[in-house]
Amino acid sequence: MRRREFLMGAAGAALLSTLPAGAIRAFAQNAAGVITFGQSTSVLTLDPAHGAFTGYPGGYEAALLLFDRLLDFDADMKIVPQLAESFTMSADLKSCELKLRSGVTFHDGTPCDAAAIKFNIERMMNKEINTTNRPLWDPIVGADIVDDKTLVIRTSAPFAQLPNTLAHGSGAIVSPAAIEKFGEDGFAQNPVGAGPYMMESFNAGQELKLKAFDAYWGEKPGASGVVFRFIAEPATRINALTTGAVDVIDSVPVQLVSQLEGNADIEVVRRPGLRPIGLALNLTHPALSDVKVRKALNLAVPVATIAEKVFFGFAKAPDSPLAFDAIGHKSVGETVFDQEQAKALLAEAGYNPGSDGVLEKDGAKLTLKLYAPEGLFPGDVAVAEIVAASLKQVGVDAQITKIEKGAYWDHLRQDKANLAWDLAMFGFNPSNASGTYHLASLFKSNADDNAKPDVWNVGRYHNAEVDELLVAADSAPEESARLEALGKAQELIWADAPYLWLQINENVSAVRKPVTGVSVMPIVFTNLRNAAKA
Amino acid sequence: MIRFVARRFATIPLVVLGVVTILFIIFKSVPGDEAAFVAGATATQAEIEAVRVQLGLDQPLIEQYVRHVSGLLVGDFGYSTTFRGNPLPHIINRLPATLALAAAAIGLTIVVGIPAGVVAAAYRNRLPDYLISLSVVGLLAIPNFWLGMLLIAWLSVDLGLLPSFGSSGPVSLVIPTLALAARLIALVARMTRGVVIEELRKDYVRTARAKGLSKGLALRRHVLRNVMIPTVTVIGLQAGYLLGGSVVVERLCAWPGIGDLLLTAVSVRDYTLVQAIVLIFVVSFLTINIAVEVIYRFVNPRLRYA
Repeated sequence: MRRREFLMGAAGAALLSTLPAGAIRAFAQNAAGVITFGQSTSVLTLDPAHGAFTGYPGGYEAALLLFDRLLDFDADMKIVPQLAESFTMSADLKSCELKLRSGVTFHDGTPCDAAAIKFNIERMMNKEINTTNRPLWDPIVGADIVDDKTLVIRTSAPFAQLPNTLAHGSGAIVSPAAIEKFGEDGFAQNPVGAGPYMMESFNAGQELKLKAFDAYWGEKPGASGVVFRFIAEPATRINALTTGAVDVIDSVPVQLVSQLEGNADIEVVRRPGLRPIGLALNLTHPALSDVKVRKALNLAVPVATIAEKVFFGFAKAPDSPLAFDAIGHKSVGETVFDQEQAKALLAEAGYNPGSDGVLEKDGAKLTLKLYAPEGLFPGDVAVAEIVAASLKQVGVDAQITKIEKGAYWDHLRQDKANLAWDLAMFGFNPSNASGTYHLASLFKSNADDNAKPDVWNVGRYHNAEVDELLVAADSAPEESARLEALGKAQELIWADAPYLWLQINENVSAVRKPVTGVSVMPIVFTNLRNAAKA
Repeated sequence: MIRFVARRFATIPLVVLGVVTILFIIFKSVPGDEAAFVAGATATQAEIEAVRVQLGLDQPLIEQYVRHVSGLLVGDFGYSTTFRGNPLPHIINRLPATLALAAAAIGLTIVVGIPAGVVAAAYRNRLPDYLISLSVVGLLAIPNFWLGMLLIAWLSVDLGLLPSFGSSGPVSLVIPTLALAARLIALVARMTRGVVIEELRKDYVRTARAKGLSKGLALRRHVLRNVMIPTVTVIGLQAGYLLGGSVVVERLCAWPGIGDLLLTAVSVRDYTLVQAIVLIFVVSFLTINIAVEVIYRFVNPRLRYA
């Protein structure tokens, strides 16, 4: 009898833990009309200045709903009006005249007029307030109110990308009254914009609740509210979507997409990104300064196979230094896998196999240090390992160093004396979608190659002709001339092969019925601005 | 007793100062430039220097240290880039979730682990013992994140009984608690079984049985008390594991505790926030250790006169 009591006690205790479960099916189902978005990155701050919206891209995705901008990108990254009804670039590309929409108010009821816009432009110009996205804002020198419906923004030099800057996430127009009220430090937790949704509650790093803004100037929001919920773990995000606890998830790992594809209630939304991944080559390395070696490295790696097998087809081999959807992209080549030709090129460059099979020239082995971050780029370490193994097949000894992702940028952007890598994985995401911005960030000659790179020309690439073309791509009066210069620059860079080009990954999100209108923008963002839930 | 507790707690400030110092040294020697990170990827050297001055990182280390420690005294943990200011309110905001999870896990361990061990010992080498011992091996071998995933897939996705993530009421606690407590339950059950078997052989048990007490009564009245001493030790020691394990489980279940916040802080490289959370982990650990010592004196009167 007593023994039985013991057993009962233990069994009872075990049961106790499952008791509260009850039979409450579909618990976390959302309130009607509210869309819940399970995000892979958390929303921490909501201010276009002071480090911009963080974490990336979660903060920007929320900002798309909270704030309106002067201009916007449509689904194909074309620039379209938003708070500005129209815009005209001057012939010298040194100013832009914007016709402002009237009758727009911020969520706090204050008017979003020419004075408010001027305040915003000047705030973003201020280097102490706006510390990030500087290349986008540095060219701007002022904003002048012509009349209450017209504003002129001036730049110091011809700047064809000005509309891209205004359409960029950091072009979000904030309420000057709210800045006054909450202070420069407080605004990020109390954002007030003029977008279709306004803040209801914000628990940074956990949950942001938005509700429809009734006085929105444009089309009525399609949902009564949107909740951004941080769910870091991919499997947990997928489970949350499957159970209906959330309506939308982003960053679905490609190897898990198949779990969702059989589900009739779930739609997988995919789009190639703007970020071509590749290995930056350290051009100060004697072997890598030879274009033949660089081309050989590109020939030695089966890029198309990586896209197909590692990423299950959710990636493509690039055909230019720019991604397919970048503005001004031109197809300038193709990735070829031909190890025999790679070996021939290396032999031409003077490298011959040594006793251990590793190529040598003048007694120096062709040993390259390959830096790869862990978990910063899709499949980064796996891809690095395939690259190293492929290079080994042509006699190049690539040694992988894995770097903790938080420390990676420091290793990458080093002054010349401390540059420890020969090949380093990198991908640049031109958040304003401009191909010119992308190429200038990566391939414009540095002012001083011994110092840290000006932007992201980490491998010290130099081509005077490319430099000139990039200036033309930004300042030629005719758009066709700008695009032509950009196309030519892509050709030259592709031929110089300052990178071992790898793959362009697709951004994959998933949406559950009955939510509609969710799009994945090439710049990573999963956009819920036009989403609707009946 | 009160004097003892007071004395034990009086040592905390000194230990904490040591911990603060060590943390400060560790974070100052982490590779990478904090100012460069705060300034952003495209900042020029001049902008980085401006940020350095703004954050006080240009001052001599000793001055930074003094400012850091004197700030902590008044609850100022420094400037968190994530929250644009003192991160303390945000950490406090998250603390209840972590404490609730840890308390639930320890509670479940006591309620399940100890009885399971006693039952296994009482039925040594018979069916209940085999079942329990086998489960113990299984639970010890399963990593908590994998168990958590299985539980979500089964209880939430397949059966629809529980929420798959987050904290929406007490039921949300079930999956993370099970995932977190599994290993601890197994450890405690295994140890309890061993200790009970050993105690059952002792003279006082034989005396009690000779007096006419049934086996069950002898177990409950006499053996259990002696078993509590090593059990409290193990649970106390494993509380540290709970804090570490909570980082993994919280992330997996999107549980809004400080473990999850710690991972976020690391990913955006918010040194101040990481430092503050680690400090809170350390202080919690110290407090738990002292609590264990106090509980010792309750369960083992011999120590009171030592």
